[in-house]
Amino acid sequence: MSRTSLARDRPVPVRPAVDVRARRRTAAHRLRTAAIYAALLAGGVVMIAPFLWMIVTSLKTRAEVFGTSPLELPSGAHFDNYQRMWEALPFGLFYLNSLKLAFLATAGQLISCSMAAFAFAVLDFRGKRILFALLLSTLIIPFQIVLVPNFVLYRLLPHPLSASGNWIGTQEPLWVWAFLGGAFGTFLLRQFYLTIPHELADAARVDGATPWQIYRHIYVPLAKPALATLAIFTFMWNWNDLLDPLIYLRDLPTYTVTVGLAFFKGQFIGKWPEMMAGALVSLAPMIILFVVAQRQFVRGITLTGIKG
Amino acid sequence: MTARAAPTSSGQARRRSPLAAESRWAWLFLAPTLIGLAILSAGPIIAAFAISLTKWDLLTAPKFVGLDNFAALLADHRFQTAIRNTVFYTVTSVPIGLVIGLGLALALNQRLRGIAWIRTAYFLPVVTSTVAISLVWSWIYSPDSGPLNAVLGFIGLPPQKWITDPFWAMPSIVAMSVWQGLGTTVIIFLAGLQAIPQEYLDAASVDGAGAWARFRNVTLPLLTPSIFFTGILALIDSFQVFDQIYVLARPGRPSDATVTLVYTIYENGFQNFKMGYAAAAAWILFLIVAVLTIVYFRLQNRWVHYQ
Repeated sequence: MSRTSLARDRPVPVRPAVDVRARRRTAAHRLRTAAIYAALLAGGVVMIAPFLWMIVTSLKTRAEVFGTSPLELPSGAHFDNYQRMWEALPFGLFYLNSLKLAFLATAGQLISCSMAAFAFAVLDFRGKRILFALLLSTLIIPFQIVLVPNFVLYRLLPHPLSASGNWIGTQEPLWVWAFLGGAFGTFLLRQFYLTIPHELADAARVDGATPWQIYRHIYVPLAKPALATLAIFTFMWNWNDLLDPLIYLRDLPTYTVTVGLAFFKGQFIGKWPEMMAGALVSLAPMIILFVVAQRQFVRGITLTGIKG
Repeated sequence: MTARAAPTSSGQARRRSPLAAESRWAWLFLAPTLIGLAILSAGPIIAAFAISLTKWDLLTAPKFVGLDNFAALLADHRFQTAIRNTVFYTVTSVPIGLVIGLGLALALNQRLRGIAWIRTAYFLPVVTSTVAISLVWSWIYSPDSGPLNAVLGFIGLPPQKWITDPFWAMPSIVAMSVWQGLGTTVIIFLAGLQAIPQEYLDAASVDGAGAWARFRNVTLPLLTPSIFFTGILALIDSFQVFDQIYVLARPGRPSDATVTLVYTIYENGFQNFKMGYAAAAAWILFLIVAVLTIVYFRLQNRWVHYQ
């Protein structure tokens, strides 16, 4: 709009007018940048504040938590909260349980999903489309619908080491499923496999390679970035999961960190410093994973829209 | 496939055999997935419906009761409240999250120094467990010693009881969930914004469009696919809210203020062992989500613009 009006504005020479406009624009631009910075920083503080409160509170004494303002800093670093939290419940064991289950689930998903994805992306067989559609349809169905039938199924499966004689109360229902495929992982990896030129597989076939060799020596090595993305998300979901461990785990020594923390909250009402220490310790692996693999996280969410 | 295999094989029989072998391999690769589909996902969806038609406490044999569970659920006050609370959670948390997320993505989509650090701050809650986050927020919302009331007191506002106050309980849960979910929304919107060709925006500027006009007529229409995508995910997800309810505001028996759909499934199935009742509740959840998804998809061509 200003360009045309300036052109019509005869008495004013064009050159200086443009300069004035440019200068005005940089001033406005700077103001805008400053405003965006201020807004983003304020928002960033809101995002970070709960984490800071977590840290600050975990270092306070109980007297400080209830006696002074929550916005005040602790009188010193009272690390004994961490020790008390660690001793109140077997958190070391919870940690090992969570690590074990998250690793097993991740391994299972990597193996079973990458195999299924290979069949869908590279091999030819009858009923491929219908099967793939069926698998994908399980993605949009709320998983809570299978909670009851799965519980019934695991209750039928015998278990030699379990007090109940079946899988209820054991950790098995929390990882065995991972070895039996999954719609999300299969879809993610299939999409990636499709970007690998099929000439590679064809050449290997001509040389007499079996599908297993093509999978093992061509597709798996080339799909490392996608496998890493799947691994990170599977690990995160299982580390953070609450509902399934809550349903299946019965005894304290089998608890995961999430169930342990929820139990802790119910048991030790008002013990904020210890609770914050526990929450912080439970977050540590995910924060480290996020810092190390932020790029994979962001790519994974953009590709699939999945939630943390 | 057959065409590619043709040059190496001559006869009809020989052409078919590699394909048959490949098909056998395919089923081998798919074996774990097929077992999983049959016994853990697709099969159980049908089983859940069968169970929902029974009265079953797991100790005695299931008794067929037809649609009694569904009728009982629809008359159950706690279940009605659960639906109301879940709908409240959805209609507040989804739009608020989308609007704030869009604003943030626009602000974060600038080439500014230090922007990567600020972005990380927004993503951090996404990777942390809802359980740990709920613990911190239960401290923030704590009525007697919590930071939120302290901040309010600082500005001169009266303290509130938040989670234990029937009026504030659900809004408090919504606020925490929006805070936690922002990172995901921002990431998807940022990707959408970065996919918008700069030439379109430049062309609009040349035509004299101001910042608002460029946003309204170029950026926003081109971003509608991302908004649609984020919206459906947030919608489905919000109907499944559970973790924060369980940790932050475990609904007591007299108080229904925070009871949600998935919480009632958990409560009926795995605390009271009313399997048929819980399965019926799960089917109702499934039907609600399915209907909403279909409606949402049907409405998409009214406002979503694909390039």
